[in-house]
Amino acid sequence: MIGQILREAWISMTAYKMRTFLTMLGIMIGVAAVVLMVAAGQTVQNEITKTFDSMGTNLIIIGPGETVSGGVRGGRGRPSVSFDDVNSLKSLKDVENTSYIVNAAVQAVYGSNNYGVSVAGTTPDYLDIGNWEIEDGAMFTEHDLKTGKPYIVIGQTVVNELFGMQDPVGKVLRLKGHPFTVIGTLKEKGDGLMGNDQDNIILTPATTLRQRLRGSYRPNYSDTAFVKVTSEDKMEAVANRIEYQLRARHRLKEGVANDFTVRLMTDMVDKVRSIGMILSILLASIASISLIVGSIGIMNMMLVSVTERTREIGTRKALGAPNKWIMFQFLTESVMISFMGSFIGMILGVALSQIAGAVLDKAVPISIWSVIISVSVAVVVGVVSGLMPAIKAMKLDPIDALRYQ
Amino acid sequence: MADKQNTVIDVNDLCKTYFMPGGMSQSVLKNVSFKVNHGEFVAIMGHSGSGKSTLMNILGCLDRPTSGLYKLAGQAISDKTDSELAHVRGQKIGFVFQNFNLLMKRTIADNVSLPLIYQGVSEKERRKRALQMLERVQLMGYEDRLPTQISGGMQQRVAIARALINNPEIIFADEPTGNLDSKTSDEIMSLFTDLNKQGITIVLVTHEDDVADYAKRMIKIDDGRKVYDGLRADYGKDKK
Repeated sequence: MIGQILREAWISMTAYKMRTFLTMLGIMIGVAAVVLMVAAGQTVQNEITKTFDSMGTNLIIIGPGETVSGGVRGGRGRPSVSFDDVNSLKSLKDVENTSYIVNAAVQAVYGSNNYGVSVAGTTPDYLDIGNWEIEDGAMFTEHDLKTGKPYIVIGQTVVNELFGMQDPVGKVLRLKGHPFTVIGTLKEKGDGLMGNDQDNIILTPATTLRQRLRGSYRPNYSDTAFVKVTSEDKMEAVANRIEYQLRARHRLKEGVANDFTVRLMTDMVDKVRSIGMILSILLASIASISLIVGSIGIMNMMLVSVTERTREIGTRKALGAPNKWIMFQFLTESVMISFMGSFIGMILGVALSQIAGAVLDKAVPISIWSVIISVSVAVVVGVVSGLMPAIKAMKLDPIDALRYQ
Repeated sequence: MADKQNTVIDVNDLCKTYFMPGGMSQSVLKNVSFKVNHGEFVAIMGHSGSGKSTLMNILGCLDRPTSGLYKLAGQAISDKTDSELAHVRGQKIGFVFQNFNLLMKRTIADNVSLPLIYQGVSEKERRKRALQMLERVQLMGYEDRLPTQISGGMQQRVAIARALINNPEIIFADEPTGNLDSKTSDEIMSLFTDLNKQGITIVLVTHEDDVADYAKRMIKIDDGRKVYDGLRADYGKDKK
């Protein structure tokens, strides 16, 4: 019986090819849009994860305290974490490494080229903290840090902008008029989370930067400090230890607010990831509107079809077709249309997302879930939008149906 | 026993009343009783609105009587459910309609074998039997054409082949020549006559005298009542 119902439905579908195709098109576009949007959302999430992985996720970031005046929280306060504070954290339990940076934005000049660049005064351990790797040459040493050597390690953007095809290692460039010797270059990292160019960077000993590129205010304090924790599950515990240690070192009495802030990279990752998740859901919801429109198209077409084929239904009933048979025949038609439409739409969606990925040079994942969901949605859509017309067909009185003109 | 097998239609005191909203009701069939034996060729006649179509629908198991008994081939029909009625229609009845009611998008062979689908007959067997039936109505070679590609008379012959395919107890023909010209009408009526000679019971509903002339027996319905039941040839003799 099932085979015969399928065959009957197939013949009816192919009898009106154009109409069947147009109806299918609605579902096709709907499913393709859902698959495409889910792929877009996932790509965004993957990019976020990739960027975080390039920074390292088991980091604790310590910044200056927030300014509070009259109960209103302001922006960043004055630098409050000294180099010694940071070094003292290294001995805490579960801390793998620490580093800190002081920032300066300057023009870098080499020969007739100059380029605006952000300079980070830091420690040799920053390579490990920031997941940087040396491409060429070497990083400055603890000794260079202590003695304030004018050595710099430069990112790939700086290499390209100032040196072009030349080998930069050993060359001298000027920052704010002071000469600095390039002793190494950093491996390329790509864009950061906000689309910022992470490779437009110059690393130099923190002491050197303080002496030559920034004013004399609080010379031994960092802008941002980093603590790398041995594993992600120990983040909270280490953050508490850091807070305790810094409060003690800063001699803060009980009840006095922290003059520094401690943030967990894992929290930030979670936040940004949840934004990516919301974005994915939003995109998929918008796309599913077209799926709903497509299913209304099926219902519409099936209703027209039942009316148009009233005489056929009457004839079939007079010739012995049970009501159930009539209902299943029409239901099968709508399920077949939506199933085929969604199948083609799914292939279309996957193909388009891969083409878009190739054009934009991004790896676009093929989510097995978007495939499973779109196909099962299609079956549900087929049943739901076919049910009302099928019941209408089933309930037709054969006498009236036979007389229908 | 022999009598029971021989009786195809047994109608006793059949009434059909339509109840309309507002408490009004209209009696369409009033206490109709008759029997049709195996091998008969009966014409049911009457003006439009006389109730002959309602009688036909009840006899064809498309409708149920309000009261009275109807037995088809010994089976009581009056209290059957919709799906049981569908089963009876598929097994025991062949229909021929005024407007043929063929499926226009299907081949002739598909149309002829349509009733067998609902009895679960395999596709191969359906095709085989469709070809046999087409031979019986002299339409060999047309099996793979569409109904739109053949004439009205041929279409009605296809419909007759379709009515024959389930070896029915009886064939109901509702104004089978209503949409045909007189020459084709004669051909179709001759085909019915031939089939009747082969032993097939036929009940014909018509309002045309020359079509009714092909039948041996005639039942005349007027205003819901049976007003004549006898040989067609004898009808009107007493009036003249």
